Amino acid sequence: MSTGTGSGASHASETETDAGSRFSPRRLALVSAGTLVFSFVAALYQIIDVVGDPTTFVVVVGGSLFLATALSRVLRARTAFTIGVVLLVGGIWSYASALGVDVFAMQDSIINDVMSLLTGLSVLRLEMIELWVVSVTPAPVFLTWYLAMRSRYVATVVAGGATLTFFVLTGDVGTTVALLGVLGAAGTIGFGRLDRFGGDHSATDVLAVVLAVMVVLTLTVSVVPGGTSQPFQLLGAGGDRTMEASLINNDQRLTVQGSIELSPEVRFTVESDERAYWRVGAYNRYTGDGWVRSGSAQEYPGQLPGPPGRTETIDQRVVVESRLNAMPAAWRPVSVSDTDNAMVSRLAGLQPARPFTAGDSYRVTSRQPDATVAELQEAGEDYPDDIEDRYTQLPASTPDRVEDRTDRVTDGADNPYETATRIEQHLEEGKAYSLDVERPDGNIADSFLFEMEQGYCTYYATTMVTMLRTQDIPARFVTGYTPGEETGDGEYVVRGLDSHAWVEVYFPETGWVKFDPTPAGPRSEAEQSRLEDAGVSDTDVDTGDDDEEETETPTDTPDPLTDDTPTTRSATDPRDGPGGITATDTVTEETTAPSRTANASGGGSGGLPLPELPSGEQLALGAVVLVGLAAGIRRTGAAERAYRAVWLRWQPRRDPASDVERAFERLEYVLAREHRPRRPGETPRQYLDSIDADERARALYDRYERVRYAGEVSEQVAEDAVGLADRIVSDRTGRFGS
Amino acid sequence: MTDADTSSAGRRADDPVEEAGALARRVAANVEEVIVGHHDQIEHILTALLGRGHVLLEDVPGVGKTMLARSVAASFDGSFKRVQFTPDLLPSDITGVNVFNQKTQEFDFRPGPVFANVVLGDEINRAPPKTQSALLEAMEETQVTVDGETYEMPAPFTVIATQNTVERDRTYELPMAELDRFMKKLHLGYPGQDDEAAMLDRVVGNHPIEDLSAVATLDDLRDARQAVATVTVEEAVREYVTRLAGYTREHAQLGVSPRGSIALLRAAQARAALSGRSYVVPDDIQTEAWVVMPHRIQTATAETTGVDVVSGALETVPVE
Repeated sequence: MSTGTGSGASHASETETDAGSRFSPRRLALVSAGTLVFSFVAALYQIIDVVGDPTTFVVVVGGSLFLATALSRVLRARTAFTIGVVLLVGGIWSYASALGVDVFAMQDSIINDVMSLLTGLSVLRLEMIELWVVSVTPAPVFLTWYLAMRSRYVATVVAGGATLTFFVLTGDVGTTVALLGVLGAAGTIGFGRLDRFGGDHSATDVLAVVLAVMVVLTLTVSVVPGGTSQPFQLLGAGGDRTMEASLINNDQRLTVQGSIELSPEVRFTVESDERAYWRVGAYNRYTGDGWVRSGSAQEYPGQLPGPPGRTETIDQRVVVESRLNAMPAAWRPVSVSDTDNAMVSRLAGLQPARPFTAGDSYRVTSRQPDATVAELQEAGEDYPDDIEDRYTQLPASTPDRVEDRTDRVTDGADNPYETATRIEQHLEEGKAYSLDVERPDGNIADSFLFEMEQGYCTYYATTMVTMLRTQDIPARFVTGYTPGEETGDGEYVVRGLDSHAWVEVYFPETGWVKFDPTPAGPRSEAEQSRLEDAGVSDTDVDTGDDDEEETETPTDTPDPLTDDTPTTRSATDPRDGPGGITATDTVTEETTAPSRTANASGGGSGGLPLPELPSGEQLALGAVVLVGLAAGIRRTGAAERAYRAVWLRWQPRRDPASDVERAFERLEYVLAREHRPRRPGETPRQYLDSIDADERARALYDRYERVRYAGEVSEQVAEDAVGLADRIVSDRTGRFGS
Repeated sequence: MTDADTSSAGRRADDPVEEAGALARRVAANVEEVIVGHHDQIEHILTALLGRGHVLLEDVPGVGKTMLARSVAASFDGSFKRVQFTPDLLPSDITGVNVFNQKTQEFDFRPGPVFANVVLGDEINRAPPKTQSALLEAMEETQVTVDGETYEMPAPFTVIATQNTVERDRTYELPMAELDRFMKKLHLGYPGQDDEAAMLDRVVGNHPIEDLSAVATLDDLRDARQAVATVTVEEAVREYVTRLAGYTREHAQLGVSPRGSIALLRAAQARAALSGRSYVVPDDIQTEAWVVMPHRIQTATAETTGVDVVSGALETVPVE
């Protein structure tokens, strides 16, 4: 952007060249390649952040970048490529050997695993994920950055793009980061070509505009009426409101949703000699905004081990009433019969190999831990290593205040059992139950604990597991169904709205014990009103006339506890199936008026909602748009024109000499627009003569001449000159014309 | 190039610069009694006179070179000498000789024709270089050395030399270093038709030069020269001159020397005074550059001349 002053002309050209070197195509191409690298490193970082300390990872990435930069000066591309391949193969091999996998013997299953990864299975499911990330990271980082430093831009994009694509396919890259990566790739190619084949500022500007347009189009195409029906959500998640699809369908990954719906549709009926929570699956890995189950399911081996301690046996027969991609059963299933559809997850839960359809049925025998409160209190903290490793993980980004709060809540608790009950109680009493929540950004547990005043089972359970884990107590997140309506002797009807999430805590010698931090009363109300709305009594005989009965008969606490111990865990009413898991295909009524979490937080009703800070990726996209905007403005000269318009009309006073010079420049600018610019070798006198300038222009020149060539500087001359210039300018252009 | 701003400058009538300008205009008017047309050339000669320079007139014979020089000289009350340069002219014929005086038994110096306020050197390129250089030394040093004795030239001292552009085969081309000593090289050119008719009208009967009287004294001229030397040259103008000279050095085999830049500045000072201004503006520089610069420039090829280079410089070097 050139300045308007004549003496500034030389400055202007200086800054122009300055800016030129700062925004040289080479530099911009490297920045773009850096963005591309950043996009998949960000994905990897998110993964590593879930399972632990990212320090090693950061060191590995830094080392790879440094190595790539250093070697780019001395190494030929072929050698570097070999190094990249060796790094990749070596990384995978070291990961495999750490897992104790015989690569050659298990080729088929490895290929299967890779295929399932590429079809949307998060890499978070992998065992020893931390090692995997650290082993796999160096190769793509090294190769991509090395190629960029060597100005091999297309190859850069091939290497970086392939890596990014892998993570896009596994679903580990969010849309924003993916968009950033794509922009990086496009920028690398574009600026790279400018770098190699030459290009001036205008080409750079145009490319910047194109990149900005890419962002703007991607973000706006979904809000245009008639555009794609699936809006791209830059802020927050949202979108799919049905959790059943992700939860009950045996997905390995569960994302915490915002407002959800209840479905009154009957899912299945259970004939059982005991009431129980019909458990579907557990999740061990907490990502901050959802849950992941690591490891893959295996064939049902014919018999499963039971829990270590005293148990109570529950025989169940489940009849599926509508399509169900889950295999609900009371904890802990030890044998399955009447079906060949059973698989067993790494966490010892049952799941079907293929979804059940209406009419399918199966029998499960479960052995539920049957420890007394006293036994649980004395269970101690002597956890097996693998349990401790797997179930005390928390994202490294979990704020410290969660632990601080938990410390306070559980202050004085002597044992894990007491700690768990206190947390349970704290959540039950401290938060209101609502299906209407704005999904918070960032760590769900932290937000629920500190900012939100209400939530539903998923929030309660997630928060409780997080709090337990801050105390190094192994705990996991469990989904399934509450017992449902008891319609007859030992027969339970379970609907979509019975879906629920709760917590299991591990006790040595007892195994996994259920805790449910979700308050009972409000849940049953929500469910009841949902049932009435749906007119359920007409739809299904099984539901019968038991509505009132159900609400009237809150049963006692379920079952890890024996009857003889009046338990502190009083609040869990098995009938209170909360919402949280619903099906898409049902007639649902959306609950309206979502409450803003920001409003609800801490300070009471009066506070204004604080705008949430955008994330780094959003800022980066915003920066791309702004740069494109700036480039466009520069291209079209809008800024220059605006600057000129102001420059022409407004003259700040400095010393008389520069005042007069500037006044004359304004005159020349006006005359240049009206007639023609003064030629370089033309003296002002010749110029004024040749355009037949009027008296005022000549008078102004006379002042200028005397200041510039006679050295006669005075305030009076400056005053005259500026006054003349003001009048000339306003006469020619009007106050706001241009 | 006219200047309308003399009144706005608001100078007093007895301002020395103003008086110098008035003197020049008076002399110009006087010369124009004799010379018809050639107004610009007359002004150029006068500014050279005020700027302490010497002038080389180059043209075909018979266009009034000598008459112009004589008219200028006659307008002052100073001495005027004319030297016709010929191939057999000796240096002493110009500078003068020592003659042995029988009475005093000593050598007496008899000054040559160069000892005058205005010296007209006619057809300077006809004399051999040694003779030429005798004149040129007098021009540069304002002194003459004969037999080891140094004699001061009268002040003011101005040489107007003429050069014939026909009959080149029997001439001695002035070398570049000597051309450099002339402040300006002027071409007269043929008069226009009206001018020529008016001229013929004048020469019928008494030639007007016979009636021409001095309109200024040598003291006037000396004062005017001093006044011109005080004309303001601001940095912007000095830089402009430097850039012009720099341009010629970049675009020709041999560009304008620093001596040329000084000459240009002095001529411009005189031009400013002539226009009634006490400061130099770029217009003065441009007017004088056409006659001060070209003869100092040696181009690599015959196609381009010094004038072309100066033209390029004036067009491209920005005026600031």
